[in-house]
Order: sequence, then C-alpha cells, then structure tokens
Amino acid sequence: MSTTAPEAVAGARKNLAGLLVVPATLFVAIGLIGPLAILFRYSLNKFVPGQFMVDGLVIENYVKFFTDTYYLNVLVRTVRVAVICTLACLIMGFPLAYVLARTQSRFKNLLVIAVVLPLFVGNAVRAAGWMTAFGSKGALNASLMAMGLIDQPLEIMFTENAVLIGIVAVNLPFMVLSLQSVIEGIPRQVEEAAFSLGAAPGAMFRRVLWPLALPGVLAGTILTFILAMNAYATPVLLGGPKFQMMGPLVYGQFAQQNNWPFGGAISFILMTATILLTAVAHLIVQGRYRNR
Amino acid sequence: MSFASHPDDAIRLADVRKQFGDTAALAGVSLKAKPGSFVVLLGPSGCGKSTLLRVLAGLEQATSGTIELSGRDVSRLPPAQRGISMVFQSYALFPHLSVAENIVFGLKARGVPAADRAARLKDAAALVGLGHLLERRPSQLSGGQQQRVALARAIVAQAPICLMDEPLSNLDAKLRNEMRREIRALQQRLKLTMVYVTHDQAEAMSMADQVVLMRDGHVEQDASPAELYARPATRFAATFIGTPPMSLVRLTAGEGGAVLEGAPGHVLAPAQAAGQWLGVRPEEIVLSDAEGLPAGIAGAEFLGGETVLSCVIGTGTQVLQVRVPGLCALPVGTPVRLRLPQTLHLFDDATGRRIEDFPSNLASPFSSKDNATCR
Repeated sequence: MSTTAPEAVAGARKNLAGLLVVPATLFVAIGLIGPLAILFRYSLNKFVPGQFMVDGLVIENYVKFFTDTYYLNVLVRTVRVAVICTLACLIMGFPLAYVLARTQSRFKNLLVIAVVLPLFVGNAVRAAGWMTAFGSKGALNASLMAMGLIDQPLEIMFTENAVLIGIVAVNLPFMVLSLQSVIEGIPRQVEEAAFSLGAAPGAMFRRVLWPLALPGVLAGTILTFILAMNAYATPVLLGGPKFQMMGPLVYGQFAQQNNWPFGGAISFILMTATILLTAVAHLIVQGRYRNR
Repeated sequence: MSFASHPDDAIRLADVRKQFGDTAALAGVSLKAKPGSFVVLLGPSGCGKSTLLRVLAGLEQATSGTIELSGRDVSRLPPAQRGISMVFQSYALFPHLSVAENIVFGLKARGVPAADRAARLKDAAALVGLGHLLERRPSQLSGGQQQRVALARAIVAQAPICLMDEPLSNLDAKLRNEMRREIRALQQRLKLTMVYVTHDQAEAMSMADQVVLMRDGHVEQDASPAELYARPATRFAATFIGTPPMSLVRLTAGEGGAVLEGAPGHVLAPAQAAGQWLGVRPEEIVLSDAEGLPAGIAGAEFLGGETVLSCVIGTGTQVLQVRVPGLCALPVGTPVRLRLPQTLHLFDDATGRRIEDFPSNLASPFSSKDNATCR
C-alpha cells in the first residue's frame, strides 16, 4: 500500500494537469481550428453570382488570386508594409527597450507604463483621431494654412506613409516589451567585460548584445510582423478606400461581395504567407548565429 | 608619502573622487603600486573598493583626480584603451560563445591575427588547465571551470595590469583556497600587476604584496600584510584584520598610570594614555595560573585547532579575546589570569589613529615566561 501511494498521487497529478489544459484547448479548438477548417472547405467551393456558394472541390479561387495582378499587388503591398513596419519598430524599439531595461531610475515602472499606455487607446479610436488631426481639413493643415505657411493642404492621410506610421505606432509597444524583457536578463557585466576586453561600442553590440538579445528580437519581430500583416482598422481608416491590404480585402469579400469562397481563399493565402515568412526569417537568423 | 610621478609605478592614483548624486563613493583616494605587485583592495561592503576598481577599469568615470597606468594618464580613456584586463565577480562570460571564443574575444576585438590568436589561446588555456574544454559553452562548466575561463580571458590579453573584482566569492571554501594559490602563482609567473578586490581579510593577507584597506570611500591604511598586522594605523584597521580581530579596550586613569576598568592594580600605559584605546591581538595573550590581568571566562568558541575565549577583565565589563591552541573547555565564570604581550597597540579615542610613541615596555611585567595552563 505504502509503495503504491505515491504513484496514485502522481497519477492524480497527471489527471489534474490534463484537466487544467482542457478549457483553453477546447476554446482554441472550437474558436479557431473549427472555423478555420470550415473556412478552408469553403475556399474550395465555387462562387456563382446570385447563387451565393455552390458546393465543389476546385482551386479556382486560389488561381483567381494568383493570376490577377490586382490581388497580387495587395499581397505584395501588405508584405512590404509589414516588413517596413517591423524593421522600423526594431530600429526605434531597440534603443528604447535597452534604456528601459538598464535604467536605475525610480520611475522605471512609470516608464514601462508609458510604453504600454498607447495600447489603452484602440486602433480605431486612434486612427479616427489622426483623421481629425492630419486630414486635409484637419487641425494640422488648417493651422498651417491659416498661418500662411502652405496654400495646399499637406497630403498625409490616405497614403501608404500614413498607414506605415499608424501601424508602427500601434506595434511599437509590443516590440519594446519583447526586447526589454530579454535585455533585462542580460547581465550588465557581460557588456562591461566586452568593453574591458577592447571592444568598441559597435563591436560590443554586434558580438555580445545583439546575439544575446536575439530571442527578444525574434519574439518582437514575429509579433509585430503578424500584427502588421493582419492589420485591419489602420489601413482602412488611414489608407482610405484606394489603399488595399489583405485584412480589409478578406472582410470586403465576406461582407460586401458575399463571396465566401474567395474570401476564404484570401484568408488562407494571408495566413500561409505570414507563417512562411515568419518561419523563413526565423531560420535565417537562427542559422546565422548558430554557426558562430 | 609623496605622490610625485614615477615612471616605474604601474599604478598611480592622485586624489580620485567619485560622486554618485549626493554620496561620495570615493572621497579622495591616492595610491601607488609597483609593477608586478599584487595589490589587494580590502574593506567591508560599501567601502568603495569595487567602485575604485571600476574607476581604474574605466567602467566608471572618476568625478575628479588623475589615474596613471604604466606612466600614462588614462583618466579620460575608455576601458579598451587603458591596457588592463578584468575578471568580474560573476565571471561575465559570454554565454553564446564557446570557451575558446570567450578567451579570444578580446584578441579578435583588437585585431590580433588568427595564427597569433590560436597560439595565445593554446598557451592561456594550458596555463589555467582548460585545454580539454575549449569547445564547451560556459553553461556546461562548473563554477571553478568558469572561473578559469574568466582568468584565461583576462591573461590572454597580455595586458600589464589585471583587475579582479571578488573573483572567488562564488566558489566553495576548498576551491577558493586552491584558486587563491593558483592566481597568486599565475600573477608571479606572468609578472602581472594585480589589483584584487575582496572583503575577505584572510584572502588579502595571504595573497597581497600590498593591502589597501578602505573605509567609507577613503584609504584607511596602505601597507604590506605584515605591516598591516603588526602596526594597524587606525582602530578600524586593528579590528578588521585577524581571526578573531584585535581586541580593543578603553584605558582609564588609575594609580601609577592608565589601567583597565575593574583591574586597578595593573598599570598598562603611562597616565596620559587614560581615555585612549588599547589593542591586543588575541593570539598574543597567554593564559596563566599565577600572574597577569585577572579575568573571568565569558564564553568559549572551539574552532578545531584552537579555541577563542572571551574574557571579562576583572570586575569590569570590557572583554579581551584570547586565542589558545587546541580545545580549551573552561566553563563560563572560571577565573583566569591573562599575560599580555609586549607589543600593545594604542589608539587615540578622538581620531582613532595609532599612537606611535607608546612605551610598550610598561606592559612587560606580564610577559616574563610562557606558561600555557589550559587543560
């Protein structure tokens, strides 16, 4: 009896562990995998105008996407915006994250909160605010024109730049927090050791700080890249109707065109592109730093 | 002591100050060290010894004062240009690099050719006994091995001056003693000028040519271990060195000279010494049956090879510690007699400084012949 008791406890533990993961697993299964499976099935259906959706097993929706330059352009634009935004977040976020991680200030917690603060404002609210501020009749143009500094309103809204700025503003906190948590785990003495061994600041960064911060860089870039690839509110509100990205395109097919098969296909192309690009970038970075 | 510049000083600090906000971490430190000497910066935590090392290394900028290393003013130079190598308390190895890459990191950074690098790596690794571990990552090594990597990384640079910040504090006692001897041997073999920070006075005494005892950001005493032990310059120095440290008791005025409270018959110093402090090394006091200062046992601490007795003097409250060889299981309250040595130390009450012209022969009546009485 006494020898079997611990095993019974261990077994109970295992059961408990199983129980604990059930809610989240069920939620993900019902809320994500189920709909995705249905969506994938739909993407192989036919769309006949007027008849909504006709059961079938065809790849014409995917063919349509990859043979129409309009849609390909949307995909390329989306990837370009996501890459630029991710790089911009990394370049601006790294120094900020470094200072946050290394500061001895009493106000460190406040600084971290200040980084997170923009997230308290939803994308849509923020974009709406920008519309009123930077639109052709917005506060900025109105004051500049009233002062006589310009006679034509500056075209800020409804350009790719507006979307880039908008997405960077939304994603920067994610990048900074990912980097900061990793940099905080890198002992300051390691940097000092590099300096005392004769490394210039640039060499120290390249050979010590960057490789050690790489897990944070990967986490941050993956997070911001995925968010940028799937951005919806920002491109719609700041990019305007002519600036199409993948997220709004999916929504348009479902809600406006009622073309569920094609919408499903676009969804899967977006998802696959995101996963593929993330995985490729991950492998390249890991490979480069493993052989050193 | 003069601080005129000597080209043959490896290290010369003149009035180095470091201010962190309102607090002075270094309140004007001046010191010199000869090339090839082993200098230990010793002191309790918060005394500024680590800050001084970091200022020497260039990891902190001194607020004022000059730092000359090998006859060159480096006060404003970054760490890389100071001609120093450094071993950190936490070792600060690069976790993403192999042992070999860790060791040659500095050589790469300084653009040493690859062939030269390989040869120096081999030498350094052999010197610290790491030859077989070069491909490992630091996380796969024991604490002692990591310590050796940090050592190899420092000596491979062949910098004339090596700085070490409590390098042994993370090792267990046995390994620590081993590494102590190894570091000392290495330093002598490579003729390095070593600046070594520790709070462990035994480490300082056993390794150093020159001990710089620090307190509250200034140098309390700068001397050889023997001098520091034999002639502590201040009350603080007296109580910091020794296991157990020197006992300090206050002298009061008595008939015929200065005496200890509770033992009026025993004049220990001239009358003008009343009110000052008397210091006695516990290992120099001898227990006696018949003669000496009357005292009572207040406690005994058995340490294996020896016993440390706390003895209350006469009818008073002041305590002298006595170190006697072997086990000495005297019960509390046992009356004993203490024969004091000829070498007594006297310290000024107000300044804490050593009083030099103290005629120690006044204490001689108590040390006629050795007669240890402990059973």
